[in-house]
Parts: sequence; structure tokens; C-alpha cells
Amino acid sequence: MGFELTQEYILGHLNYWLFSVLMMTGLYIVVAKGNLVKKIVGLNIFQTSVFMLYISMGKVTDGTAPIFPLDMDVDPDVIYSNPLPHVLILTAIVVGVATTALGLALIVRIQDEFNTIEEDDILKIERAIVQTENAIHGDAMGGRA
Amino acid sequence: MRHHLILRVITKLLVGAIMLFAFYVQFHGDFSPGGGFQAGVIMAVAFILYGLVFSLHNVQQVFPPWLVHKLVALGVLIYAGTGIVSLFLGYSFLDYGAFTPDHPSHGQHYGIFAVELGVGITVTAVMVAIYYAFAGRPPRLSDEEW
Repeated sequence: MGFELTQEYILGHLNYWLFSVLMMTGLYIVVAKGNLVKKIVGLNIFQTSVFMLYISMGKVTDGTAPIFPLDMDVDPDVIYSNPLPHVLILTAIVVGVATTALGLALIVRIQDEFNTIEEDDILKIERAIVQTENAIHGDAMGGRA
Repeated sequence: MRHHLILRVITKLLVGAIMLFAFYVQFHGDFSPGGGFQAGVIMAVAFILYGLVFSLHNVQQVFPPWLVHKLVALGVLIYAGTGIVSLFLGYSFLDYGAFTPDHPSHGQHYGIFAVELGVGITVTAVMVAIYYAFAGRPPRLSDEEW
């Protein structure tokens, strides 16, 4: 196996380590927290970690902003950062805002319907609803609704 | 109801500066980092801050919901219209060189200016519309119940 955990290897991939930590933080919040708003926050942290990974990959060492000079006289020795990941993430940020708004709207509706945004309580209420449905319509559905 | 004096005073000072910064980011966007998306969000922040501190009713008098919904479409119209205009001038869609055929780089300035203006208007309006949609819901607790 070719790779060793040298100092250069660790520091050279710093963005990957930070990305992993941030992504797992977000994933943990999504899985472990019962409050739906906290789940949205976790999802946003998860999303931000992906943005950071892409943006840091677009950076070229010693590269400048990829803007042509005004006289369009491009010096071939100048190194530019890669603008493609940045544009990609610009779109992803906009989509992220939309999905966050959609998620919050769904939470607002859940709050209206169940009067709670705790996942455990919602599951309890839903189970109670299913049980009453079963008691009323259970026979017609062959014993299981 | 005259509480939150510090918030009110600071907000009055900041709203103008935030809008000015939004315009700077908008119109300086082709020379420096910035552009329609960022400027639109900053502009929306000015309205949302005003709404948070001075109540939804007041911000909706300044920026009424019907206008917000029209602006959402207007921005897209400006963006697509810029492309269509260059199409009618005999160039490709969004080929900004069409606006000043004898000096293409000037045309690109005008084209990017118009397109970014469209993006900025739409982003501002969408952000404010989302804020209105959430903040406009009837509160679960009235102010007296706190």
C-alpha cells in the first residue's frame, strides 16, 4: 500500500478531514435529534460540508480570480483558480435555500396538524390514529388497516 | 409598545447601509466578487431585518406582497429578455456582444449588468416572499400571552 500517514499527507488533505468532520456532525444531528427543526439544521450543516469540499477543491495554489483583464490581454503564465466548482456550488446554495424553505414549510404544516415537532411524539400520535382506524375499519380491511 | 429601543435605532441606521452594500455588490459584481445572487440576498436581509424589528405590517407597507410576487417574475423576464433581445439582433442567445457590435466588450458589460440585475431582483423578491409566507402565518400565541 502506497500511502503513509506523513505530516504532509495529513496537512495536504486538511480540507478532506474538515469535510469529513463537518459532514458527520451534520449526519449525526439528522439521525440523533428528534426535533424536526434541529434535523433541518443538521441537514444544512451536512450540505455546507459538501459546499466547502467543492470550493476548496476549486482552489489552485497561487491561483488568482479567474477574471480576464480589461484589455483582454491574457498572460499565459498567470495561474487561475478553477471557477467551475464555484459556479456549481453557487447553484447548489440556491437550491439549498429552496429545500430549507420547503422543509420548514412542511414542519409548519406538521406543527399545525400534530401540535408538536418532536419526532417521537408524532410517531406516538400516528400510532394512536392507526389503532383507532384499525378498531373502526379493521374487519373490512381483513384484520389489518 | 415602544420597547426594544436599541434594536429600533440600530436597525434604522443599518437598513440604509445594508441596501447600499447590496447595490455595491450588485453593480460592482463584474469587477470583484459579487453579483446578483449575493446582492439579492443582502437586499432581502434589509427588508427582513426591518420586518423583524418593526413588525410585518410595516414592512409590507413599504414592500407590499403583490409587488414582491410581481418582482419574482420580473427578474426572470429581464434575464430571459436579455437573451431574447440578443437573439433578435442576430446573435446567439445571451451573446452580449450583440448590444454594441462595434465594441463587443462594452456589450458584455451591458449584458452582464442586465442579467445580474434580473438575478438580483428575483433573488430579493423570492427571499422576501419566503419570509412573508412564514411570518405572515397567524401566531400560535398572541403578544399578550407571553
